Amino acid sequence: MLGKRTLWQNCLLALTLGVVLFFCLFPFIQILSTSLKHQFDWGNPSLIPIKLNLKAYQELLGLGKGAEVPIPETVKRLLDNPLLTKEAKEKILSRYRSTRDVFPFPRFFLNTFLLSVTAAGLSLLLAVFGAYAFSRLRFKGRSVIRRSILFVYMVGGVLLMVPLYQMSVKVGLAGTVWGSLFSLVLIYIIQTLPVSLYMLGNYFRTIPFALEEAAATDGCSRIQALFLIILPLSVPMLITVFVYCFMIAWNEFLFAFVFLKQYHDFHTLPLALQSLFVSKNAIWDRIMAASMLTLSPVILCFVFIMRNLTRGLTEGGVKE
Amino acid sequence: MASLKLKNIHKRFGSVEVLHDINLEIKEGEFVVLVGPSGCGKSTTLRLIAGLEDITEGEVIINHNVVNLLEPQHRNIAMVFQNYALYPHKNVRENIIFGLKMAKVSRDIMDARLEKVAKMLELQDFLDRKPAQLSGGQRQRVAMGRAIVRDADVFLFDEPLSNLDAKLRHQMRSEIKRIHRAVQTTTLYVTHDQVEAMTMGDRIVVMKEGVIEQQGTPMEIYLKPSNTFVATFIGSPSMNLMDAKLFPEHVEIEGQRIHFKEKIQRPDFLLPKEGLPIKLGIRPDFFLDENFASRGGSLAKINYAKIDLIEPLGFDKELDVQVGTQSLKVRLDLRTTAKEGDTINLCFDMERAHFFDIKTDKNLFIHPPIRPQA
Amino acid sequence: MDISVEQRESRLGWKLIAPSIGVIGLLIIYPILYNVYLSFFDVKLTGANLFVGFANYERLLKDTAYYSSLFTTVLYLFGTVLGTTVVGLFVALLMNLHFPFRNVARTVILLPYFAPVISVVFGWQFIFDPVNGIYNHVVVEMLHLSGTRHNLIGDPKTALLVVILFDIWKHFPISYLLIISKLQSINRDQYEAAAMDGCGPIGRFFHITLPEISFVLGTLVILRLMWNWNKFDEVFLLAPNVETLPIFTYYTAFTGIIDQGMAASISVINFLILSGLIIFYVKKILKW
Ligand SMILES: Nc1ncnc2c1ncn2[C@@H]1O[C@H](COP(=O)(O)OP(=O)(O)OP(=O)(O)O)[C@@H](O)[C@H]1O
Ligand SMILES: [Mg+2]
Repeated sequence: MLGKRTLWQNCLLALTLGVVLFFCLFPFIQILSTSLKHQFDWGNPSLIPIKLNLKAYQELLGLGKGAEVPIPETVKRLLDNPLLTKEAKEKILSRYRSTRDVFPFPRFFLNTFLLSVTAAGLSLLLAVFGAYAFSRLRFKGRSVIRRSILFVYMVGGVLLMVPLYQMSVKVGLAGTVWGSLFSLVLIYIIQTLPVSLYMLGNYFRTIPFALEEAAATDGCSRIQALFLIILPLSVPMLITVFVYCFMIAWNEFLFAFVFLKQYHDFHTLPLALQSLFVSKNAIWDRIMAASMLTLSPVILCFVFIMRNLTRGLTEGGVKE
Repeated sequence: MASLKLKNIHKRFGSVEVLHDINLEIKEGEFVVLVGPSGCGKSTTLRLIAGLEDITEGEVIINHNVVNLLEPQHRNIAMVFQNYALYPHKNVRENIIFGLKMAKVSRDIMDARLEKVAKMLELQDFLDRKPAQLSGGQRQRVAMGRAIVRDADVFLFDEPLSNLDAKLRHQMRSEIKRIHRAVQTTTLYVTHDQVEAMTMGDRIVVMKEGVIEQQGTPMEIYLKPSNTFVATFIGSPSMNLMDAKLFPEHVEIEGQRIHFKEKIQRPDFLLPKEGLPIKLGIRPDFFLDENFASRGGSLAKINYAKIDLIEPLGFDKELDVQVGTQSLKVRLDLRTTAKEGDTINLCFDMERAHFFDIKTDKNLFIHPPIRPQA
Repeated sequence: MDISVEQRESRLGWKLIAPSIGVIGLLIIYPILYNVYLSFFDVKLTGANLFVGFANYERLLKDTAYYSSLFTTVLYLFGTVLGTTVVGLFVALLMNLHFPFRNVARTVILLPYFAPVISVVFGWQFIFDPVNGIYNHVVVEMLHLSGTRHNLIGDPKTALLVVILFDIWKHFPISYLLIISKLQSINRDQYEAAAMDGCGPIGRFFHITLPEISFVLGTLVILRLMWNWNKFDEVFLLAPNVETLPIFTYYTAFTGIIDQGMAASISVINFLILSGLIIFYVKKILKW
């Protein structure tokens, strides 16, 4: 009886759905579209490129040879402005002249990937033991710890920005590349550890205790039971948590910005993209192509863990 | 194989004591059934033996060694859990040999044992399946296999049949007995089903609210229950308990005097002049219709039982009858022709009747109050 | 060997959780305390810190830039909390209806939430670009609402609006997700019973749906407040001229006249406010 709709209502529903989906997807389509457009086409509101331009991708992935950067029409017009001082003109022009730091996408990709995998792996490792302890072992102080973890995971990164930087300056880590990278890994671990603990702990609690007891009578110690029984049963959740941590590290900008700004070769993708945007090589098609390429692994992960992740998130392990 | 002994065991969860001074001894190769109503502490007892819970007080002794502080994995005990607790990610073969792997048994021995056990339990065709692909009975057999294969000192079973349907339960009952006969491992088997207890145990231990009420062979428990709890818990339908008065030469029920015919039936302890109020216990199966009682003369008799209800069960019929103000359950055979509303006279053997103290619920013939001075 | 099962379990528990506690203690708890310590110093990058007592706080509380930043933050929070919750609720109600390809739609909707901020901000920049952007094309050329093209992101006032819109776009999916999982657990019978009692769709929404999800909505509001109170990257990347408190802290700490002592004191105040929110959340919403 409920849920029967008239034709008119169906049209309204379709229209609303269309608007919502458009709202969600339009920026992505815009990015894709612009990344495939030639410069003369940018101002054209149509999303379909007049002529397909794959140069930006080729360049970023190092497929074709890096071409001379053309000066956009609009900028040329700007340069004709007689009010502009000579220095200002030079400054604008130099943005387009130098080919020195054309964006080495594969390198940034690798930096980000290694950093994220390391951080996610370590975070997962710590979380497996920690979550097992507070979800399945009985000890005094367990519930206090569980609550503190929840508390801690709501304290965001920005608050720790100054003291963490000062700490790493104090112990001399901020002065070197490897020190900075090490600090960054640590920071990514703490940004993901509370969530990982939370999500894994919730999952471990759903595994029947009798399984571990059976393992104990079969001759397993607790640690053996964890590795031989609990972990094999948690594989989907382990993957989910790993990917989630990976994505957080992959997306992180603030701390990478603070710690790695001066080490250009070690930039992560978010940092590199931001510096590309503010640098002399700021050309829309290249930025958009780089955006697309940064987005793609996340979309892959997303499709991969969609199921478990939404469940994990709705069951309380939410974190940004 | 090993002997198992529980000595003055107490178990507290926080401030709540759930086991009170448990003493129990199981000889090598014995099959003992621990039976009692839900929540009486049966699982807790098993878990203490297995080492899954701490013992608050007392000692668990396996083969003359106190194992209180030994971790479960070092006690060499095999346990079959109520929900089987099969490892979902391992197939049947891996489930069965997991314990052997942990014990680092050699490959050859492992294969030989697996084959033997699979054959004994008729699991050969399922070895590559995961637990989720098995029926309840098959899972149960895998759980058994996991225990048997290990050559453990003691088997612990925690209501292993409670998740099966009636027919399968019946079948598995004899199967477990058969296996026990083959492997002869010391076994403690927990159930709340008194039929299982009666049919399977070499010895039965009846427990209630953390206290052992009685232990003995099934027949001892059935024929000489030491108190009203055991009397009514064991046997189905359960024993009738009637308000009565006990005198040196007779019992009085609802104004009817039933005389003791033989000397051995009589109480040999002091009784007050006005009679001792008691509960008289008679199992429904021990009644006979007067018309068909061959030894009519030597039997005791309750007259004028009015029939409220007859439930025919085939060979037997179960009757609800009223004697004075008290109702009884009676099981007679198909020869009885009386109808609902009729009255009949019921015979019973006084030696099969029990006399319980109304205050302590104890069997007066086993725990007599005061004997006369000799 | 001479300890009981419980003691052994408890020791193992502590052993396993210790690394996590160590890391969290060293890199979260300690920094929070260290931050308080720093806020009483004139922090020099050379490392020679000078104790100044409450001077940082005094300067901060006299600084008009701080108050304007606070005001921006309040506007930002108001817009984003309201926006994400309302849009999330609306979309959740929509997605709870039956229609073909619903599962696809439900998945697609989550995309903005999972996309890295960095990979989408520049797309948004492009949309509002004064020269090439579709926004100006629509407003100026198609609808003729304005005669000249505006650089919406260039002006801090209008940039705030863009930043809020971006946050709504990016984060309504999580509100949607939490609301719809609650919606799906509401018993259908209730709606049918209410319909029998003569309740129309709107009445049903107010009498059944809203009371059922009010708890989730409350949770979402407070969580969003907590999260956005600290939000740095998306604001900074999209419009560095919108100075919410985290951005303001960053500028104070790392650009211009570097003043990390002052930045620390801003963080301390922020932390206290956040703790207040968390305690409220834990007490009132999680009911510990
Ligand atoms: N971990 C525990 N903490 C507190 N009380 C417990 C715990 N485990 C068991 N109990 C209590 O101990 C008593 C005995 O429980 P136990 O599980 O041994 O009963 P059982 O005889 O096995 O019952 P069932 O037939 O229902 O399995 C119960 O009252 C139960 O509430
Ligand atoms: Mg039990």
